[in-house]
Amino acid sequence: MGRHRDHLVEGSDPQLSVALHPPASDAGLRPVLLLHGFASSTKLNWVDTGWIRYLNEAGRTVLTVDLPGHGDSAAPEARDSYSPSRIRADLLQVLQDHHVVPLREGVPASGVDIIGYSLGSRLAWEFGATQPELIHRMVLGGPGSGDPLAAFDLAAAQELLAEGTPIQDPRTAELMRMARLVPTNDVFALLTMVEAVKDEPFTPAEAVPRMPLLLVAGENDDLAATAQELADLAPQAELLTLPARTHANAVTSRAFKSAAVAFLAA
Amino acid sequence: MAELSFPLPDLGEGLIEATILEWLVAEGDQVERNQPLVEVETTKSAVELPSPQAGTVVKVHGDAGSMIAVGDPLIVFEVPDDTAGIVGTVPAEKPPARRVRLSAVLDDD
Repeated sequence: MGRHRDHLVEGSDPQLSVALHPPASDAGLRPVLLLHGFASSTKLNWVDTGWIRYLNEAGRTVLTVDLPGHGDSAAPEARDSYSPSRIRADLLQVLQDHHVVPLREGVPASGVDIIGYSLGSRLAWEFGATQPELIHRMVLGGPGSGDPLAAFDLAAAQELLAEGTPIQDPRTAELMRMARLVPTNDVFALLTMVEAVKDEPFTPAEAVPRMPLLLVAGENDDLAATAQELADLAPQAELLTLPARTHANAVTSRAFKSAAVAFLAA
Repeated sequence: MAELSFPLPDLGEGLIEATILEWLVAEGDQVERNQPLVEVETTKSAVELPSPQAGTVVKVHGDAGSMIAVGDPLIVFEVPDDTAGIVGTVPAEKPPARRVRLSAVLDDD
């Protein structure tokens, strides 16, 4: 959307694509903010997988944001635009623009719930730790205590793009495969994001969200193999494992959706 | 009553096949148009396919984990005769001669 803002948390408008998806019949609960993963988008992570429809049918208002360099959001050149701290400030701005008010006891429409996937879960973890007065509950999909982007072999990725040299590290190779499969992805913007994440790697013990958390991971998701370690850091976290699912295909799971809706309605 | 068979639709970007992850409907179920039918995974992503048709599910093709090619039979519905008349009947087990996009546009490309 990229509308002009009068009161920006950060100085410049990040031109993020933000969309509100109201339900046909509103349950009167707080909105649900969805945060997609690296090299994905609102469309791939939440629309095509049926999440927005499912949440709307449960009466939930949904708020979606494409991360910088992803989906329909702008892809600035400056590395700072992609840093997790800058993105958290921009998310706070999005919530303010949509009139999300601090949680109040007995007011079910106050505050916001969050569902994240992969990188979106990492951003949600940090955002939840710093915004406890706004966030009611969070569902973190495909989460881990490590940081797959911090371990990303940037030099190998650049060699692949320049010379076609195959990438040795399997996780870097898989992330690059995903990044390049989607024709609308701006691969150079994604690599700038990797650089920005390397500057601010995920250290989950440093700031821990204290609201109730539901962590959800596919049984065969090697990027979320450390989900239990992450759950152990938080005072109110439970972990749901999805049989036979991987990092790529856990996201459509009906068990994931129904658990998320029930958990956020509590 | 008449039977309408629908193939796995074109999933865009040159994808030629998908793996069935989980059926969300079963034989005998009454489904609405646009109701999610099945989760499938391609080399690109996992998606939920909405129903192109309201009707009763007569047959679903492919168990979880099996691969299905774009254009191969995915699901067969039983619909009232007059409904079938409007959209035309497709032979139950023969793949259609021409590939048609069945659902709302899944992908812009």
